[in-house]
Amino acid sequence: MRTAGVVGGGVAASVAAVTASRLSPPPEVPTGKETIRDIPEFKTVEINEKSDILIRMQAELKKALAKPVEERRWMMVIDTRKCVGCHACTVACIAENKLPPGVVYRPVVQEEIGEYPNTQLRFFPRPCMQCEEPSCVAVCPVNATWKRPDGITQIDYDKCIGCRYCISACPYGARTSDFGEYYTEDTPELQPYELLSSNEYGKSWNREGHNSPIGNARKCHFCLHRLNEGELPMCVSTCVGRANYFGDANDPDSLVAEMARQHNQVKLLEEKGTKPSVIYLI
Amino acid sequence: MLERTYKNLSKIWMVVFSIGLVALIMKFITGERLAGYGSYVPWGLWVALYFHFVGIAGGVFALGTLGYIFNLTGFRENFRVVIIVSVASVITGLFAIWLDLGQPFRFTRILYAPNFGSMMAFNAWMYTFFIITAGVIFYLTLNKAKQTDFHDKKRWVLPLMSLGFLFSIAFPSQSGAFFGVVDAKPFWSSPLLPILFLVSAITSGGAVLLLVYTFLHYEEFDLTHQPFKMLRYTIIGGIIFYFVAEFAEYSLVFWSPNSHIREAVELILFGPFWWVFWFVHLGGALVALYLLLKGKTYQTVGTGAFIVAVTFVSARLNILIPGQAVAELKGLKEAFYHERLRFDYSATLNEYLIALFIGAFGVALVYFGIKFLSQFTKKKLGTEL
Ligand code: SF4
Ligand code: SF4
Repeated sequence: MRTAGVVGGGVAASVAAVTASRLSPPPEVPTGKETIRDIPEFKTVEINEKSDILIRMQAELKKALAKPVEERRWMMVIDTRKCVGCHACTVACIAENKLPPGVVYRPVVQEEIGEYPNTQLRFFPRPCMQCEEPSCVAVCPVNATWKRPDGITQIDYDKCIGCRYCISACPYGARTSDFGEYYTEDTPELQPYELLSSNEYGKSWNREGHNSPIGNARKCHFCLHRLNEGELPMCVSTCVGRANYFGDANDPDSLVAEMARQHNQVKLLEEKGTKPSVIYLI
Repeated sequence: MLERTYKNLSKIWMVVFSIGLVALIMKFITGERLAGYGSYVPWGLWVALYFHFVGIAGGVFALGTLGYIFNLTGFRENFRVVIIVSVASVITGLFAIWLDLGQPFRFTRILYAPNFGSMMAFNAWMYTFFIITAGVIFYLTLNKAKQTDFHDKKRWVLPLMSLGFLFSIAFPSQSGAFFGVVDAKPFWSSPLLPILFLVSAITSGGAVLLLVYTFLHYEEFDLTHQPFKMLRYTIIGGIIFYFVAEFAEYSLVFWSPNSHIREAVELILFGPFWWVFWFVHLGGALVALYLLLKGKTYQTVGTGAFIVAVTFVSARLNILIPGQAVAELKGLKEAFYHERLRFDYSATLNEYLIALFIGAFGVALVYFGIKFLSQFTKKKLGTEL
């Protein structure tokens, strides 16, 4: 009887011990309120040129700006595999350049590849390609569109007569015309944000009456006003997927030049002979 | 009879002019906001009118010069009318394109700061030279011993007229080249385009000249005589040639399996504005052909000429709009939506009314040009134009 009692007690004890070991934390893990601070802290990501490409590109931008303007050549590489089609760059560009309705510098074009059910979506944002052989420059009757030494195709709003020949000539549809419209037109009053001046091409432009840039052709200029201040173009800074690379193509060590050397790069409508400075990775 | 026609026409003119004027004032107040064109189809009705009027100018001058050189009855002594109609048409065309500019008051830049590599600047300079040349020729024709003489007293008319003739042939063809150089639009990059523009210029120019002669000389000449005969045959030949060339171009597109421009031609023939091709362009040409071939009275022949002069603007529209309405970059249309970022275009009421004003403006230039300069030549020569 006694033996049975001992055996019975032993089983119960071992069951209790197993259960207790399952329910309670292992002895090495501290428990209790006061021990929380002992949990090892997560390491924060160190912000440096290796951890975020923006930091590297920012540094390279400063390097490029130290050179004379004719020795730099701005270039953009867009990795379509990273672009999620969120349109944040489009919106950021609108806000940065105070674009009115109907004027867009960087729409994100969506492309469906394959046939249902084997389809895939691809997004390619379309800024101005800052072509090396731009058709828009060739057709402008008053030299209001011209090629800067750093590769950016510039529009001189004060010279542009608004004939829209350049708009027709651009194969990428990269130019839009400013028709002098406002988002809050036909409401009790125009909102102040619509009347803010934009800072394109190093000047302050107030859209009033028929003043430029109303009536002019407009397009992406790689945020020239930001570049001059050592800042990346707004779309590059905004991109959540870090799908944009930007920098000086003349610097072989730059990230953008590195990306431009990838084997999977394509240019849009290359057959048009415009030699774009925007490259897509596919 | 003519009195009554004049009266009715001047009433119609007054109405058209007044309504158009209101539309024009609205345009100047609102900028381009009332226009229907956008950034993907940046050129619309007024640009088509511009090409139509400069084409007419070229056609009128070219035919008038040929009539002058080959001494066809009624041409030499009426050459000043040719000059007036031609210059009035260029000015009307320039007025149409001026209205289309986003910054119209800067247009002089094209004269003092041009980029001659651009077909637009090149054309603008050519029109200027043409107007000056035509003005000098006008003056020289006053210096002839007899109005039926070939030369003026100093023998300057012929070289200048040859230059003017060159211009008049060049600017319609260059209107075609204006589009041809735009590689972004495959439909425009056709070598046939300058030829089509030239032929339609000769055809519609001939029609306008015939119309003017009908009003001015129906008492002097018989319909079977010059200049009616020559102009009638030219218009008939021009219409046929134009449609043959157009057929050649379109049929090639449909036979080629991977034609880039098929989409544009399909738009012309079967798109939302199919009726412009079938009713206005083809239908108008067929009615005009019938009237010009069979017409026995000034009224019928004049109506035929009027139909050609008006409906041939559809030839311009059918090149202009479909060329722009096909996106090179597929998906762009859906990428960002706004009314101004569409690949279709319909002219707005404001654009139509201003188009009427442009037409009325052209008619007024011809009418007052003839009236005013008749007084001038009367003083100088003792006879009217
Ligand atoms: S993308 Fe278009 S607007 Fe930009 S440089 Fe090239 S041709 Fe000009
Ligand atoms: S719209 Fe302005 S920039 Fe474009 S071709 Fe005309 S004048 Fe030049």
